[in-house]
Amino acid sequence: MIISKKVEFSASHICRSPQLSDSENERIYGAAANPLGHGHNYTVEVAIEGAPEPVTGMILDLKHLKDILEAKVLNVYDHRLLNREVTPFDRVVPTVENMAIDIWNRLEAHIDATGRARLYSVRVHETNELFVEYRGENT
Amino acid sequence: VTVHLSRRYTFSASHRLHSPVLSDAENKSIYGKCNNPYGHGHNYEVEVTVCGTVNAVTGRVVDLAALDRLTEAGILAPFRHRNLNEEVEVFRTEVPTTENLAFEVLRRLQEAWPVAFPAPGPRLEKVRIWETERNICEIGI
Repeated sequence: MIISKKVEFSASHICRSPQLSDSENERIYGAAANPLGHGHNYTVEVAIEGAPEPVTGMILDLKHLKDILEAKVLNVYDHRLLNREVTPFDRVVPTVENMAIDIWNRLEAHIDATGRARLYSVRVHETNELFVEYRGENT
Repeated sequence: VTVHLSRRYTFSASHRLHSPVLSDAENKSIYGKCNNPYGHGHNYEVEVTVCGTVNAVTGRVVDLAALDRLTEAGILAPFRHRNLNEEVEVFRTEVPTTENLAFEVLRRLQEAWPVAFPAPGPRLEKVRIWETERNICEIGI
Protein backbone atom coordinates (compact mmCIF):
# COMPACT_ATOMS: atom_id res chain seq x y z
CA MET A 1 0.00 0.00 0.00
CA ILE A 2 1.23 3.47 -0.80
CA ILE A 3 0.48 6.68 1.06
CA SER A 4 1.49 10.11 -0.28
CA LYS A 5 2.01 13.48 1.29
CA LYS A 6 2.43 16.82 -0.44
CA VAL A 7 4.37 19.82 0.79
CA GLU A 8 5.31 23.10 -0.87
CA PHE A 9 8.27 25.43 -0.80
CA SER A 10 9.45 28.42 -2.81
CA ALA A 11 13.03 28.86 -3.95
CA SER A 12 15.17 30.47 -6.61
CA HIS A 13 17.78 28.86 -8.83
CA ILE A 14 20.06 29.40 -11.80
CA CYS A 15 20.39 26.64 -14.38
CA ARG A 16 23.90 27.10 -15.76
CA SER A 17 26.80 24.68 -15.84
CA PRO A 18 30.36 26.06 -15.51
CA GLN A 19 31.43 23.22 -17.82
CA LEU A 20 29.36 24.64 -20.71
CA SER A 21 29.76 27.81 -22.75
CA ASP A 22 27.31 30.72 -22.41
CA SER A 23 25.64 29.82 -25.70
CA GLU A 24 25.35 26.13 -24.75
CA ASN A 25 23.83 27.06 -21.38
CA GLU A 26 21.28 29.30 -23.07
CA ARG A 27 20.43 26.64 -25.65
CA ILE A 28 19.98 23.89 -23.06
CA TYR A 29 18.24 25.76 -20.24
CA GLY A 30 16.55 28.63 -22.12
CA ALA A 31 15.16 31.32 -19.84
CA ALA A 32 16.23 29.27 -16.79
CA ALA A 33 19.88 30.11 -17.60
CA ASN A 34 19.41 33.76 -16.52
CA PRO A 35 22.55 34.38 -14.37
CA LEU A 36 20.55 36.56 -11.97
CA GLY A 37 18.27 33.64 -11.12
CA HIS A 38 14.50 33.13 -11.02
CA GLY A 39 12.13 31.19 -8.76
CA HIS A 40 9.29 28.68 -8.51
CA ASN A 41 6.68 27.46 -6.08
CA TYR A 42 7.69 23.81 -5.88
CA THR A 43 5.41 20.98 -4.78
CA VAL A 44 7.01 17.83 -3.38
CA GLU A 45 4.95 14.66 -3.29
CA VAL A 46 6.48 11.90 -1.18
CA ALA A 47 5.09 8.36 -1.47
CA ILE A 48 5.68 5.81 1.29
CA GLU A 49 5.19 2.08 0.76
CA GLY A 50 4.31 -0.31 3.56
CA ALA A 51 1.61 -2.31 5.35
CA PRO A 52 -0.67 -0.75 7.96
CA GLU A 53 0.33 -1.58 11.53
CA PRO A 54 -2.51 -3.80 12.89
CA VAL A 55 -3.26 -1.76 16.02
CA THR A 56 -3.07 1.81 14.67
CA GLY A 57 -4.15 1.03 11.10
CA MET A 58 -1.37 3.33 9.89
CA ILE A 59 1.60 2.70 7.60
CA LEU A 60 3.54 5.32 9.50
CA ASP A 61 2.91 8.23 11.81
CA LEU A 62 2.04 11.12 9.49
CA LYS A 63 3.07 13.64 12.11
CA HIS A 64 6.50 12.00 12.10
CA LEU A 65 6.56 12.24 8.29
CA LYS A 66 5.58 15.90 8.42
CA ASP A 67 8.35 16.63 10.93
CA ILE A 68 10.92 14.81 8.76
CA LEU A 69 9.81 16.72 5.65
CA GLU A 70 10.09 19.99 7.52
CA ALA A 71 13.46 19.27 9.05
CA LYS A 72 15.13 17.62 6.06
CA VAL A 73 13.57 19.45 3.10
CA LEU A 74 11.54 22.57 3.87
CA ASN A 75 13.94 24.09 6.40
CA VAL A 76 16.76 23.51 3.92
CA TYR A 77 15.07 24.54 0.63
CA ASP A 78 12.34 27.08 1.47
CA HIS A 79 13.08 30.70 0.47
CA ARG A 80 16.66 29.92 -0.51
CA LEU A 81 18.80 30.49 -3.57
CA LEU A 82 19.55 26.82 -4.20
CA ASN A 83 22.86 27.37 -6.03
CA ARG A 84 24.35 29.26 -3.08
CA GLU A 85 22.61 27.95 -0.02
CA VAL A 86 21.89 24.24 -0.55
CA THR A 87 24.46 21.52 -1.13
CA PRO A 88 25.00 19.77 -3.57
CA PHE A 89 23.90 22.64 -5.83
CA ASP A 90 27.24 24.38 -5.41
CA ARG A 91 28.50 21.46 -7.56
CA VAL A 92 25.54 20.20 -9.62
CA VAL A 93 22.97 22.20 -11.56
CA PRO A 94 19.70 22.56 -9.56
CA THR A 95 17.48 21.12 -12.28
CA VAL A 96 14.25 19.53 -11.09
CA GLU A 97 15.86 16.14 -11.88
CA ASN A 98 18.76 16.76 -9.48
CA MET A 99 16.39 18.21 -6.87
CA ALA A 100 14.28 15.03 -6.85
CA ILE A 101 17.41 12.92 -6.35
CA ASP A 102 18.72 15.18 -3.58
CA ILE A 103 15.38 15.22 -1.74
CA TRP A 104 15.27 11.39 -1.93
CA ASN A 105 18.80 11.20 -0.51
CA ARG A 106 17.91 13.54 2.35
CA LEU A 107 14.76 11.58 3.29
CA GLU A 108 15.40 7.90 2.63
CA ALA A 109 17.20 6.96 5.85
CA HIS A 110 14.76 8.86 8.09
CA ILE A 111 11.35 7.61 6.97
CA ASP A 112 10.80 4.82 9.46
CA ALA A 113 13.18 3.41 12.02
CA THR A 114 11.05 0.28 12.56
CA GLY A 115 11.44 -0.93 8.98
CA ARG A 116 7.67 -1.16 8.39
CA ALA A 117 7.61 1.62 5.79
CA ARG A 118 10.01 2.68 3.07
CA LEU A 119 10.35 5.61 0.75
CA TYR A 120 8.77 4.60 -2.59
CA SER A 121 9.05 7.75 -4.71
CA VAL A 122 9.72 11.46 -4.65
CA ARG A 123 7.92 13.70 -7.14
CA VAL A 124 8.95 17.30 -7.54
CA HIS A 125 6.63 19.61 -9.51
CA GLU A 126 8.45 22.71 -10.73
CA THR A 127 5.43 24.11 -12.61
CA ASN A 128 2.01 22.72 -13.58
CA GLU A 129 3.60 21.58 -16.82
CA LEU A 130 6.71 19.84 -15.48
CA PHE A 131 7.45 17.26 -12.81
CA VAL A 132 10.04 14.57 -12.14
CA GLU A 133 9.71 11.30 -10.26
CA TYR A 134 12.63 9.44 -8.68
CA ARG A 135 12.34 5.97 -7.12
CA GLY A 136 15.89 5.43 -5.92
CA GLU A 137 19.06 4.12 -7.47
CA ASN A 138 17.86 0.59 -8.19
CA THR A 139 14.79 1.37 -10.30
CA VAL B 1 20.39 6.86 -11.76
CA THR B 2 17.03 6.73 -13.55
CA VAL B 3 14.46 9.50 -13.22
CA HIS B 4 11.03 9.84 -14.77
CA LEU B 5 10.18 13.29 -16.15
CA SER B 6 6.69 14.35 -17.19
CA ARG B 7 5.71 17.38 -19.22
CA ARG B 8 2.16 18.61 -19.87
CA TYR B 9 0.76 20.20 -22.99
CA THR B 10 -2.68 21.38 -23.97
CA PHE B 11 -4.72 21.63 -27.17
CA SER B 12 -8.38 22.19 -28.00
CA ALA B 13 -10.23 20.17 -30.62
CA SER B 14 -13.67 18.93 -31.58
CA HIS B 15 -14.86 15.39 -32.22
CA ARG B 16 -17.88 13.19 -32.55
CA LEU B 17 -18.07 9.67 -31.18
CA HIS B 18 -19.92 7.57 -33.73
CA SER B 19 -19.08 4.16 -35.12
CA PRO B 20 -20.24 3.30 -38.66
CA VAL B 21 -20.53 -0.39 -37.72
CA LEU B 22 -23.14 0.36 -35.05
CA SER B 23 -26.77 1.39 -35.53
CA ASP B 24 -27.88 4.94 -34.72
CA ALA B 25 -29.66 3.63 -31.61
CA GLU B 26 -26.54 1.72 -30.46
CA ASN B 27 -24.32 4.76 -31.07
CA LYS B 28 -26.64 6.91 -29.01
CA SER B 29 -26.80 4.39 -26.21
CA ILE B 30 -23.00 3.84 -26.07
CA TYR B 31 -21.69 7.36 -26.59
CA GLY B 32 -24.61 9.42 -25.22
CA LYS B 33 -24.14 13.18 -25.66
CA CYS B 34 -20.80 12.58 -27.40
CA ASN B 35 -22.76 11.13 -30.33
CA ASN B 36 -24.29 14.53 -31.18
CA PRO B 37 -24.11 14.66 -35.03
CA TYR B 38 -22.77 18.20 -34.97
CA GLY B 39 -19.81 17.28 -32.77
CA HIS B 40 -18.48 19.05 -29.67
CA GLY B 41 -15.07 19.96 -28.26
CA HIS B 42 -12.68 19.67 -25.32
CA ASN B 43 -9.59 21.30 -23.90
CA TYR B 44 -7.32 18.27 -23.93
CA GLU B 45 -4.22 17.90 -21.79
CA VAL B 46 -1.42 15.59 -22.86
CA GLU B 47 1.23 14.44 -20.40
CA VAL B 48 4.34 12.83 -21.87
CA THR B 49 6.58 10.84 -19.51
CA VAL B 50 10.17 9.99 -20.42
CA CYS B 51 12.76 8.11 -18.41
CA GLY B 52 16.52 7.93 -18.50
CA THR B 53 19.67 8.82 -16.66
CA VAL B 54 20.54 12.34 -15.56
CA ASN B 55 23.40 13.83 -17.56
CA ALA B 56 26.26 14.59 -15.14
CA VAL B 57 27.05 17.97 -16.72
CA THR B 58 23.62 19.40 -17.54
CA GLY B 59 21.62 17.78 -14.74
CA ARG B 60 18.90 17.04 -17.31
CA VAL B 61 17.29 13.75 -18.33
CA VAL B 62 15.94 15.16 -21.60
CA ASP B 63 16.37 18.28 -23.74
CA LEU B 64 13.05 19.97 -22.92
CA ALA B 65 13.18 22.23 -25.96
CA ALA B 66 13.62 19.17 -28.21
CA LEU B 67 10.71 17.39 -26.47
CA ASP B 68 8.56 20.52 -26.92
CA ARG B 69 9.46 20.69 -30.63
CA LEU B 70 8.66 17.00 -31.16
CA THR B 71 5.29 17.28 -29.40
CA GLU B 72 4.41 20.54 -31.14
CA ALA B 73 5.22 19.19 -34.61
CA GLY B 74 3.75 15.70 -34.17
CA ILE B 75 0.72 16.27 -31.93
CA LEU B 76 -0.20 19.82 -31.02
CA ALA B 77 0.05 21.51 -34.42
CA PRO B 78 -1.92 18.81 -36.29
CA PHE B 79 -4.60 18.51 -33.54
CA ARG B 80 -4.97 22.12 -32.33
CA HIS B 81 -8.35 23.65 -33.23
CA ARG B 82 -9.16 20.79 -35.57
CA ASN B 83 -12.19 18.63 -36.09
CA LEU B 84 -10.47 15.33 -35.28
CA ASN B 85 -12.94 13.17 -37.27
CA GLU B 86 -12.53 15.24 -40.43
CA GLU B 87 -8.98 16.57 -40.24
CA VAL B 88 -6.84 13.82 -38.69
CA GLU B 89 -6.47 10.90 -41.09
CA VAL B 90 -6.67 8.02 -38.59
CA PHE B 91 -9.99 9.28 -37.18
CA ARG B 92 -11.69 9.07 -40.55
CA THR B 93 -11.94 5.36 -39.78
CA GLU B 94 -11.38 5.09 -36.01
CA VAL B 95 -13.65 6.63 -33.37
CA PRO B 96 -11.76 9.51 -31.66
CA THR B 97 -12.35 8.30 -28.09
CA THR B 98 -9.78 9.32 -25.48
CA GLU B 99 -8.45 5.74 -25.69
CA ASN B 100 -7.87 5.91 -29.46
CA LEU B 101 -6.48 9.43 -29.13
CA ALA B 102 -3.94 8.16 -26.56
CA PHE B 103 -2.93 5.32 -28.93
CA GLU B 104 -2.46 7.80 -31.78
CA VAL B 105 -0.44 10.25 -29.65
CA LEU B 106 1.82 7.40 -28.46
CA ARG B 107 2.19 6.06 -32.02
CA ARG B 108 3.20 9.48 -33.36
CA LEU B 109 5.71 10.06 -30.56
CA GLN B 110 7.20 6.57 -30.99
CA GLU B 111 7.56 7.12 -34.74
CA ALA B 112 9.49 10.39 -34.34
CA TRP B 113 11.41 9.37 -31.21
CA PRO B 114 14.52 7.62 -32.65
CA VAL B 115 15.39 10.65 -34.78
CA ALA B 116 14.84 13.20 -32.01
CA PHE B 117 16.40 11.09 -29.23
CA PRO B 118 18.76 8.44 -30.62
CA ALA B 119 19.91 5.64 -28.27
CA PRO B 120 21.09 5.77 -25.52
CA GLY B 121 18.99 8.92 -25.10
CA PRO B 122 15.88 9.28 -22.96
CA ARG B 123 13.15 6.67 -23.52
CA LEU B 124 9.47 7.35 -24.04
CA GLU B 125 7.63 5.74 -21.13
CA LYS B 126 3.94 6.68 -21.17
CA VAL B 127 1.28 9.12 -22.29
CA ARG B 128 -1.70 10.38 -20.29
CA ILE B 129 -4.57 12.32 -21.84
CA TRP B 130 -7.17 14.33 -19.99
CA GLU B 131 -10.35 14.81 -22.04
CA THR B 132 -11.94 16.57 -19.08
CA GLU B 133 -10.89 16.85 -15.43
CA ARG B 134 -12.71 13.56 -14.83
CA ASN B 135 -11.78 11.53 -17.93
CA ILE B 136 -8.17 10.44 -18.10
CA CYS B 137 -6.58 7.74 -20.23
CA GLU B 138 -3.06 6.36 -19.68
CA ILE B 139 -1.05 4.21 -22.06
CA GLY B 140 2.47 2.88 -21.51
CA ILE B 141 5.01 1.51 -23.96
